Amino acid sequence: MLTRQQALAKLQGQQLFPDRLSRKEHKHYLVYAQRMLRLYEMGMGRTRRELHQGIDRIFAAESDCPVRRIAAFCKLMDDASQYDSDQSGAAAQLRQRVFGLAAQHHPLVTTADSLFESTELQVKATVAETLGRNWEEIDAELFADVMDFHRLKKFQAYPSPLALLSRYNVAQTQVALFDAEQITVHATKDLKTILRYAKLARLMHRIRRTAADQYELQFDGPASLLRHTRRYGVSMAKFLPALLACKGWKLHARLRTRRVGWMVYLALTANDGLVSHLPAPEDFDSTLEANFVERWNDEPRAGWTLERESEILHHGQKVFIPDFVFTHADGRRHLLEIVGFWTPEYL
Amino acid sequence: MSGHRPCVQFSAGTLVLSNAPADWIQRVFGAAAPWKWDQRANLWRCNAIDYLDIREQLLQNEKQVENHVRHWSRVQWPAVSLPELRAEQRSAVNAWMTLRRGVIVMPTGTGKTEVALAMMGQSPVSTLIVAPVRDLMYQWHRRILLGLGYDAGIIGDSVYNVRPVSVTTYDSACIHMERLGNQFGMLVFDECHHLPGTMRREAALMSAAPWRVGLSATPERSDGRHADLEKLIGPTVYRLELAAVRGKTLAEYEVIRIPVHLGDAEQRRYDELSLQIRAYMQARREVDKYFTWEDLCADYASEPAARQIIKAYREKQSIEDRAAEKLRVLEDLFRLHVGSPIIVFAGSNAMARDVSRRFLIPCLLSHCGKRERLEILTGLQSGQYPALVANQVLDEGVDLPAVKIAVVIGGRASTKQAKQRLGRVLRKSGNARAFMYEVVCSETTEAGRSRQRRTSDAFVGTRFIRRV
Repeated sequence: MLTRQQALAKLQGQQLFPDRLSRKEHKHYLVYAQRMLRLYEMGMGRTRRELHQGIDRIFAAESDCPVRRIAAFCKLMDDASQYDSDQSGAAAQLRQRVFGLAAQHHPLVTTADSLFESTELQVKATVAETLGRNWEEIDAELFADVMDFHRLKKFQAYPSPLALLSRYNVAQTQVALFDAEQITVHATKDLKTILRYAKLARLMHRIRRTAADQYELQFDGPASLLRHTRRYGVSMAKFLPALLACKGWKLHARLRTRRVGWMVYLALTANDGLVSHLPAPEDFDSTLEANFVERWNDEPRAGWTLERESEILHHGQKVFIPDFVFTHADGRRHLLEIVGFWTPEYL
Repeated sequence: MSGHRPCVQFSAGTLVLSNAPADWIQRVFGAAAPWKWDQRANLWRCNAIDYLDIREQLLQNEKQVENHVRHWSRVQWPAVSLPELRAEQRSAVNAWMTLRRGVIVMPTGTGKTEVALAMMGQSPVSTLIVAPVRDLMYQWHRRILLGLGYDAGIIGDSVYNVRPVSVTTYDSACIHMERLGNQFGMLVFDECHHLPGTMRREAALMSAAPWRVGLSATPERSDGRHADLEKLIGPTVYRLELAAVRGKTLAEYEVIRIPVHLGDAEQRRYDELSLQIRAYMQARREVDKYFTWEDLCADYASEPAARQIIKAYREKQSIEDRAAEKLRVLEDLFRLHVGSPIIVFAGSNAMARDVSRRFLIPCLLSHCGKRERLEILTGLQSGQYPALVANQVLDEGVDLPAVKIAVVIGGRASTKQAKQRLGRVLRKSGNARAFMYEVVCSETTEAGRSRQRRTSDAFVGTRFIRRV
């Protein structure tokens, strides 16, 4: 995920539009993505700073690329990377040695005189000799544990240049949700998955049926009842990729900006083209259910149709979503849950 | 939740009340009851901090209601060895003890930590200490171990080790308080002017701790939100002004400003960059006469030219910040004060490393681990190291050995920072005077920042040295 420092969005009226690369307008970004992937794949042993400068150079001539977009790509590339952060503390030990040896010669002057005879060059040469290495080598390792100078160890590439660009689009929407106080999802399908992932992200919900096959789900957190708070924004951002993997939903988010009392909104639907890196929800929880649907579809069923997980039975926080709903052309509905093995735990 | 008696519990940074009819709430808590009905969970909910107000009523109706909020307990201090408090420190402790809630305002260097440790000594209950940065968190850990003999837990810096007495940072407290809010009976907010921030205040709101201390030298915030400290911690119960302790607790000090010039090559590059920036801004203003520098810096600059200008601006700052002349002045100061420990404050990590690599003196930066930090600080104290260089890490409250000489080479303009930096070097020990040198580039924007710094009363009596 990105941090606020890399967030990029446009505000039109009170609608917020997170930065979005499109297939049409940004087709040439595929080349940039390819070059970034290659930069990191070939970049083992190079420092974080060098790699980020490399990304900077890739975009140097691009006339449509805000600074924050470049910073965001650096972050997304680093997210897929492992750096050697000098866990063993070798740099710290080296510093202790070097500073310890140099302390008796303080101050290291530029030119020696009758009062101070230790010059910078002399002392560095002496220290290097004591440690049995040359000074350039020592100097290069002295601050190897500083974040900027960590060296790339491993890079788990994005599956394709397009996947990197997709991740960028999702990431900008996610970081916009950091400011969210509440999100509302109008859902028609995959309700079980939506609620399951919201719960995993530790969000609370309110459910309302708004039409025969449509539910309104409001998500926020425990303290949202008591005060305006953005503290659950990160949870909402974490929840987004799971929602994106589902179908048939609309999202509306209320965001609180830094300007006191100023609200903005973000709208998104399943058809907006944001692609999740998560797989679509498993069509069936078990082969038992899959077999059931297969058999059902074998022959016509006299006006009855079968829908999967499209009805919610709820009482307060407690939610139960039966596996199937039978709907008849005349309006009759029946619910079916396939229990499978009869065990007390399941019931 | 056994039986059908009303039951109060801590849950996710809030308090929840179940099995309670509305009229019972009205009767027990009165019209000002903080409870709100939560239809999502079928119970009543209020902020954990509201426990301070409803504690009394819960106690009075002990028989009717189950109270499971409190998960804190008394602690035993294994070995108390606290120093004798000075008169003003004693007054601070006494002022707080009447309510066991409130903010203590004392200048840096007057022993706020000792005051808080004395309060903890007299209030032996599970306590969480919240500090602005991890350096200070570790420092509190050390002070509690030394003063009270207690090995406190650490929550932050990728460690999550919760003990009845623990230390943490504001950021970690804000994240974890929804789980920890009922584990501590007392909260200590160090440098508490950080607390009223939009997210950070959650650390206070999500805790049920009845006893609260805030410590700060400069509680005032430019956004005016310090007023919220009364609600989040308590009233200001004690205030000691900087002027009152000058020369008494703090050493007499003198500020000496040394202007430096950019070298020829630096100046040429600097002017070149300035010209570039000016030309770009002029061109933009011909199209849009309201175009401002802020527009450019809003980070939305898209085209290569704009990105180039932002880079040019950063390079200008870096030239000022890392001017080679500063290293030469530093050499002179090191020569002049050889034999007495010196602390150098740099304006950036890069400059701090420049100084460290040029003079081979330790630098205290955020990458330093707990052990290295300790080694450097005790090294300076014992005379093993002649000097050290630091950046923002030391901006607030980090204990430094008493030194008489500090050198500031670049840094942001802010009176709060200036005061806190001063307080650090000016700890009283003996009668020696303290000097603070300010090494800034002349005729660049840094000189302006230095002027702004001196408007604070901490800088009364600044001397200038013109170098030839």
